[in-house]
Amino acid sequence: MTIQREKRLSYAVLVLPAVIIYLSVVAFPTIFSILLSLTNYNGGAIFGNPEIQFVGLKSYVWMFTEPTGNFYTALGNNLLIVAVSVFGQIPLGFILAYILSRKLISKGNSFFQTMIYLPNVISPIIIGVLFNAIIYGRNSVLMEVRRLINPDAVFTLNTTPMVPVLVVILWMFTGFYMIIFLANLQRIDPAIIEAARIDGAKEGRILWHISLPALSGVIVTTAILAISGSLKTFDLIYAMTSGGPAGQTRVLSLYMYQSAFQGAPNYPLANAISTVMVLISIVLIVITRRLGKTFGSKEE
Amino acid sequence: MDNRNISLPTKIIVYIIMIAFTVLTVYPIFWLVIQSFKTNTVYLTTNKLSLPASWYVGNYPFVWIQGNFFTFFVNSVIYAAVTVVAVVILSNMAGYAFAKISYKITKFLHGLFIVGILLTLQSILIPLFLMVNAAGIYNTRLAVLIPYVALGLPMGVYLCTDFIKSIHDELLESARIDGASFMKIFTRIVFPMCAPVSGTLAIITFTGTWNEFVLMNLMTATEKYKAIPAAVGRYSGALGSDYGKLFTSLTVALIPILIFYFIFRNQITKGVAAGAVKG
Repeated sequence: MTIQREKRLSYAVLVLPAVIIYLSVVAFPTIFSILLSLTNYNGGAIFGNPEIQFVGLKSYVWMFTEPTGNFYTALGNNLLIVAVSVFGQIPLGFILAYILSRKLISKGNSFFQTMIYLPNVISPIIIGVLFNAIIYGRNSVLMEVRRLINPDAVFTLNTTPMVPVLVVILWMFTGFYMIIFLANLQRIDPAIIEAARIDGAKEGRILWHISLPALSGVIVTTAILAISGSLKTFDLIYAMTSGGPAGQTRVLSLYMYQSAFQGAPNYPLANAISTVMVLISIVLIVITRRLGKTFGSKEE
Repeated sequence: MDNRNISLPTKIIVYIIMIAFTVLTVYPIFWLVIQSFKTNTVYLTTNKLSLPASWYVGNYPFVWIQGNFFTFFVNSVIYAAVTVVAVVILSNMAGYAFAKISYKITKFLHGLFIVGILLTLQSILIPLFLMVNAAGIYNTRLAVLIPYVALGLPMGVYLCTDFIKSIHDELLESARIDGASFMKIFTRIVFPMCAPVSGTLAIITFTGTWNEFVLMNLMTATEKYKAIPAAVGRYSGALGSDYGKLFTSLTVALIPILIFYFIFRNQITKGVAAGAVKG
C-alpha cells in the first residue's frame, strides 16, 4: 500500500462514521424539513404519494396571517425568554461570578458555586412538573402562601401566565451564565489585578477598568447563547404548562411540536415553524462566525 | 492574597447576595424532597411549608414498583452509556483526521459540524420522526440512540479537533518515521493523550443525554424503551393529583443525577465553560 493511499484510506475511515451519522440525522433532516414546508404533506407515505403537492409559501402565509396569531404569541414568548436572559440572568450571573472570582467572600466559594449551578443539571421535565405543583392550581404552594397573607384569597386563573414560567427560567439558568463568566474572569492574569491594587485601585475601578474590558467578547457570546437557549426551550414549558392556558405560554418549539404531534396534525404549519427556527439559528451562526473573526481568540 | 482589606459593608452585602441566591436555588429542591415523605392527605390538609408530623416512607416502594422505575432507570443508563462511548470515540477519530491529516475537504466537513452546535433539535423533529418510521425502527432503542449520537457529535468534534491541534506535530511525525500507520498513531498515541478532553466530552454528553426528553418520548411508544424523564408526572392529572406520589417520583428521578453532579461537579462546570464559550 502506498503512503498516499494509506493516508487517504485512514482519513476516510476516521472521518466517515461521524460524517455519515451527522449528515443523515442532522444535516439531511434540516433540508428535508425546509422542503416539506413547501408542500401540503400531512402524514402518511412520503414517496410515491400522489396527493403531495408543491404549494410554495402557502403554509408560511397562513402561519403569519391566521386569525389567532398563535405564531406571534410563541415568537413573543421566545423574545421574553431572551429578555429574561439578557436583563436578568446575564447581569446576575456576572455579579455572582465576579464575587466568586475576586474571592470577596473568605469561605465557601466552591460551595456557593456548586449550589447555584445545581438546577442546571436537573432535567427540565422534573423542574417543570415540580413548579407546576408549586405555582398552579387550588392545591398549590402559591395558593397556600396567598392564604397565609390574606385568609380570604380565592383561587383565580392567572392572567399573566408567562410570568411564572419566566421566573422559573431565571431561577434555573442564572448559574449557567455565572459559570461562563467565572471561567473567563479566572483567565485574567492575577498579576495585573495585583499590580492595580498595589497602585491603590479600589474594587470598583478594578471591575470597570480590568474585568469588564476583558469580558467584552464574552458578553456578546452570552447574548448569542441566550438566543439559542431560548430557541431550545421546550421541556420546561411542556411539563410546567403544556403551553396553556389557550397557547399563551407556548414558545416556537412547543407550537411546532403541538402542531405536528398533538391533536389533528398540521405538518405544513409545523414544518414552516421549524424552518423559521432554522433560519434564526443560521443568522446566529453567521453572527457568531463574524464575531469570531473580529474578536479572534481573545473571545475565549 | 486574601488578607486584603475589604470594607465590612461590602463584605456583608456580598455575603447576603451569595447566601440569598443559594437559599433561593436550593430551597425548592429541598422542599420537594420533604414533600415525598407526606401522604397525599397530609399534603393537602396541613401547611405545605411545614415538615411532616410523621415521616411516611410508603411512597417510595409504591413509586419504585408500581411506577416501574427500574425499567426507566435501566433505559436511561443504556441511552447515556452508549451515547457517551460512541460520541467520544467518533469525535476523537474525526478530530484527529481534521487536526492532523491535511486534506482540503477538512475545512468544509469541520464547518458542517460547527454549524450543528447552534442548531435546535426541535427544528428537525418531524423529518427525524418520518425517517425513523420509514426505516422501521420506531419504538426501538436504536431510534433514540442514533439521533443522540449524531446530536452529540458537533460539540464533540469541535472539542476534540481543538484539543488534538495542540498536540505537537513532531511527536506524531517521529512515530510516522518509525513506520507507524495513521490508525496506529490514533489508537496508541492520540486517543490516550486525549483523555482529558474525552472526559470533559463524556460528562457534557452524559448530562445532556440523561436529561433529554422530547426525542426519547417521541421515538418510543412503550414504557419498555422510555427513560427517567418520561417517568415523572404520571401522578398529576387534570382530575386531581396524588401529590405524595408525584413528589416521590420526582425525588427518585433526581437522585441519580444529583449523585453524579456531586461527584463530578468540578468537571461538569469546567466542561460547560469549555463547550459553551464558542459556538
